[in-house]
Amino acid sequence: MTSNIRVGFIPLIDAAIPIAAKECGFAEREGLQIELVRENSWANIRDKLVHGLFDASHMLAPLAVATSLGIGNAKVPLAVPFGLNANGNCITLAAGLYRALEEILGHAPQDARQSAQALRRVLDRRKAAGEPPITFGVVFPFSVHAIIVRHWLRLGGIDPHNDVQFQVVPPPFMVARLSEGEIEGCCVGEPWNSRAVESGVGSIVVFGSEISRSAPDKVLALRSETVSSEPESIHRLLRTYQVAARWCQDPGNHANLAHMLAQPQYLNVAPKTVLNALSGTLAVNRTEARTQPDFLTFQGDDINWPDPRKARWLYAEIATGLRQPLDESQAQAAAAVFCPDVFDAATGNNALPQASDPIGLRFGPPFDASDLKAYIDALMRD
Amino acid sequence: MMDQPSILIIDENHARAAIIQDGLREAGHADVRWLSETGNLLKQIAEIDPDVIIIDLESPNRDVLEQMFQVSRLVRRPVAMFVDHSDSASIRDAMMAGVSAYVVDGLRKDRVKHILDMCVQRFDVFSRLTEELHEAKTALADRKVIERAKGILMAAKSLSEQEAYILMRKTAMDQKRRLVEVARAIVMAESMLK
Repeated sequence: MTSNIRVGFIPLIDAAIPIAAKECGFAEREGLQIELVRENSWANIRDKLVHGLFDASHMLAPLAVATSLGIGNAKVPLAVPFGLNANGNCITLAAGLYRALEEILGHAPQDARQSAQALRRVLDRRKAAGEPPITFGVVFPFSVHAIIVRHWLRLGGIDPHNDVQFQVVPPPFMVARLSEGEIEGCCVGEPWNSRAVESGVGSIVVFGSEISRSAPDKVLALRSETVSSEPESIHRLLRTYQVAARWCQDPGNHANLAHMLAQPQYLNVAPKTVLNALSGTLAVNRTEARTQPDFLTFQGDDINWPDPRKARWLYAEIATGLRQPLDESQAQAAAAVFCPDVFDAATGNNALPQASDPIGLRFGPPFDASDLKAYIDALMRD
Repeated sequence: MMDQPSILIIDENHARAAIIQDGLREAGHADVRWLSETGNLLKQIAEIDPDVIIIDLESPNRDVLEQMFQVSRLVRRPVAMFVDHSDSASIRDAMMAGVSAYVVDGLRKDRVKHILDMCVQRFDVFSRLTEELHEAKTALADRKVIERAKGILMAAKSLSEQEAYILMRKTAMDQKRRLVEVARAIVMAESMLK
């Protein structure tokens, strides 16, 4: 791999750091040649990384853990030396279902709790009337998107395993599936929520940042063998990403970043679309907008530093999703996927994270990485 | 396991799907079906209930298939991606050709490998055909521009066809450019001077 690195990415706004690292010349300054390869599915990303067609990749954080544990596919140990972002996703409901929530509340739902509780009442009514359950679209079986929806449902007293169904829908098809009624809700990144709102197909009920402060969304993933075989290149890549993260986070650069990401070879959308998501202000329905300054975060100690406690949280969430009991050896294997030592060696960091809770869930059972059992039990009980 | 595994091809490209279907049938696989409409994909797959699924790597629907790895309520039989670790090179070849395969539990590896190899071959054939078609189209378009430019020179400078061609050829050589580039410049200049 020497100084030439092939990096896979999915055309999403949270691929900002890998793209900016190349486009702004940060990589070149570190003596790195980066080749970015666009892919259409997370399955492709995983397979091309695992089989050596990529050296590194933009990846769903839970997918990096699942692949390393051999959950859902062949077991290949991956290493995550850098977190690329927190949040940036929304939960959107189809127009008909959103109207049902409005009717119950007498107004548009204003926050996560309100919308979840109203949804519970809609589900109860539908159950009583013998109507089929609601299906939610998520982008991948192992994704923060699926985790976020489950937390939100629990907030309303809804059992995510029995009261609703989940269906994987690739983001570009999300609005169409909402409109056709195959799904009635979804959790996806931008611009797909805004597309649903603009076309009248759906309305946004929750921003991901209303569920957690710093749940890992996308990460940089490598084959773990690469960490030992190419330490110098990896260190350079991480230094490059650290600079790029700072640049992407700075609101003064957002107009430039939006134009950069919007280009045909990357996201191929209008720059304005990217800028909206970067600004944290989105139209949530026909008449209202919502602003969350931390709607999408690229940089910060609790974003980029690959905290092994976050990997334990991801494992706990994956196990809960599959209704599997806690396996402490799996939890340890998961923790080993996130490698802060590589981050520290590359960047000269010697500080430990300040937050006692690395995820920052806004509600629900408290997360303590040293007591996964209590966390999983609480989730299963809800 | 059955002698003739049923095969499902998921590909939005009609021409490529046809080429793969033909290849598999020629190789003796009678039970080959094809899906191009991918709404309600898992339900459609459950209804067809294939032993082997072939999907192109360009399709975002690969992520939908991932759901089948966990025992999905929608799919009757457990499905796994075809990964033969004894032959990593063939998996790389398949990925480079742009194809991926999923199999139900219990299907013999050598059978699947044969099917996958056939599909890889056909994907390659299709890419080559697409490339050749593209080249043929470009060649045709180039020839049209050269003919146009020749006509313009003949009219403007009262040259014979042969002389017009030689003039363009010489200019191209002097300028170290391709003949078609010179022709394009002439056509463009003429349209501006009109």
